[in-house]
Amino acid sequence: MVSIARKNLLEDIPRFLVAQAGIMFAATLVTIQTGILDGFTRSTVLLIEGSNADVWVASEKMENLEETEPLLMGQVEQASLIQGVKQAEALIIGSVRWRTLDGVLNPVRLVGFEPGGELFQPGKLLKGERAAVEQPYTVIMDETRLDELMVEKIGDTATVASLPVTIGGITQDSQSLVSPPFLFSSLENINTYINSGLKIELNCKMLEGAEDLRCTKVYEKSETEEKLATPPTKPLSLTDPITYILIGAEPGQDLETLKQRLEASLPGTRAYTRAEMAAKTATYWKDRTGVGIILGLGAAMGVIVGMVVVSQILYASVSDHIKEFGTLKAMGASDGMIYGVVIEQSLWMAVIGYLPAMLICLGVSSWAATKGIIIFITPVGALGVLGIVIAMCVASGILAIQKVTHVDPAIVFKA
Amino acid sequence: MLIQQLFSKPNSNTSTAITAKGLEMVFHSGSTSFQALADINLIIPKGDMQLLMGPSGSGKTTLLSILAGLMTPTAGTVQLLGDDITKMSRTQLTRFRRDNIGFVFQSFNLFPALTAAENVEVNLNIKGIRGRRAVKETQMLLDAVGLGDKSDLLPKNLSGGQKQRVAIARALAGSPQLIMADEPTAALDSHSGQAIVEILHQLAKERGATVLIVTHDPRIVNIADSILYLEDGRLQPPTLASTG
Repeated sequence: MVSIARKNLLEDIPRFLVAQAGIMFAATLVTIQTGILDGFTRSTVLLIEGSNADVWVASEKMENLEETEPLLMGQVEQASLIQGVKQAEALIIGSVRWRTLDGVLNPVRLVGFEPGGELFQPGKLLKGERAAVEQPYTVIMDETRLDELMVEKIGDTATVASLPVTIGGITQDSQSLVSPPFLFSSLENINTYINSGLKIELNCKMLEGAEDLRCTKVYEKSETEEKLATPPTKPLSLTDPITYILIGAEPGQDLETLKQRLEASLPGTRAYTRAEMAAKTATYWKDRTGVGIILGLGAAMGVIVGMVVVSQILYASVSDHIKEFGTLKAMGASDGMIYGVVIEQSLWMAVIGYLPAMLICLGVSSWAATKGIIIFITPVGALGVLGIVIAMCVASGILAIQKVTHVDPAIVFKA
Repeated sequence: MLIQQLFSKPNSNTSTAITAKGLEMVFHSGSTSFQALADINLIIPKGDMQLLMGPSGSGKTTLLSILAGLMTPTAGTVQLLGDDITKMSRTQLTRFRRDNIGFVFQSFNLFPALTAAENVEVNLNIKGIRGRRAVKETQMLLDAVGLGDKSDLLPKNLSGGQKQRVAIARALAGSPQLIMADEPTAALDSHSGQAIVEILHQLAKERGATVLIVTHDPRIVNIADSILYLEDGRLQPPTLASTG
């Protein structure tokens, strides 16, 4: 059978290429915009999803990974004794300032974990060893933020919170797009940086008539002169504040039951499975911050603009051949045959426009990754965009062909 | 030149191919309406070559569209080959056209992306004829119109006369009993126009097909079995030939 669809497409090559460029642009736009939104969202939960913790125990006031109230180091020990808990580890998140050797200041986010533990991963290590952070004032950081902090390699130094810092490892897939550069180190190192030059008092008391523990941190400038000399790092005491307790469950342990036990035993806390914790953080950034709303709007606009562009191209393409389709109709072609021709033409245009678009998106995504911007293109997402492009093309083609199937077929007699 | 003539030659076949009774066509546009056809009654015998003539705007193409089942009249009935097409659904009309009518258009309406052979083969495909049989029949039809050696050429590489010959081959594909042609010589020079009508006449006669041609061209009058003259949407009574 003669393929009118393919022949029509290739009848006018320059026109075909222009149309395909339009569809390619639309597919690229949709993919990049949704990829940026997905990448941004994913970046905010990289540390959560990369962890091996089955349950994250946080303050009940927790809003997202980086916005929460402190817990106590002593609660880690408590948690480890709860039935169903195989392992419990502390995680500290705090903020200080980084000062380069040239005196340039930059905010950084400190993340303290147990170097010998198993429940937290500071991304994927590219250079150096995880154990390097056991050395005093040594940190691991993400490769995408090296330029921002004006360091290049392992061994480079700077100052954090008036204390020395040395790069001991370089990692990847750890940095949130919306956060200051993360510095990963041992609980001891991070505790020392956070408390540098400060005297902290943590007052905790049980609320009257409730099983709720209310803690208040009191920060005071330290009276002692620690600034000039490098003090030894400070091991954590049971009363030191921490941010999260990461829980590894016993094999076969029901996580819902374990969460209830943890919340009951640790007043003022709330337990989340890893997926729940990631969802809470992602939702916060997507739905409650300007960044998420702007990127979401951009993705929606990408889809809408893409749909309009593709629709116009297909509509114009089918309209250009309307007399030929009318001729088919006059000769007795069924609606099914005409729809078949239009749908085949639409599918060809969709696929031929989509494939180069994906190559462009993968190239842009790879380039952006080197700049620390994640454009997240998954196979499912890519198939979704293909589905959108096909749906747009077919719908536009069918809309255009209504001229023939529902309007005066005698148009074929008009010269 | 004005021809106001309806003449008939004796035809051995007395059964009718096309019968129209009380046809009317009114177009509405907003609050205004325009009567394109009024009180059309006609009978065209099987195997005849019938011309439909008249000045521009007289309703020729509208009448052809109705007789071809491409347009529904405001009133009246049309019988083609004994079937009342005004009572048919859209789907039934589409099938009827597919099985019984071949079309020749003023501007050829060939698919520019398809070769001469493919343009003919498409019509065979529509009729359910595919594969080797379609290829073989296509070649026979192109041979019949004298374009057997040009089957691989695109329409842009054919002259106007050649394009119309391809269109005739396409119209004859599947041996329809009715051929409807709208100004088939209008876009051609006089020599090509004459040749086209002769080919159409000869092939239609060989196949026993009835041909209805809308035309302004007085040079093809001699080939026709009879002529209908339409003016202001009404068929005119037969008169003696007059030219001027």
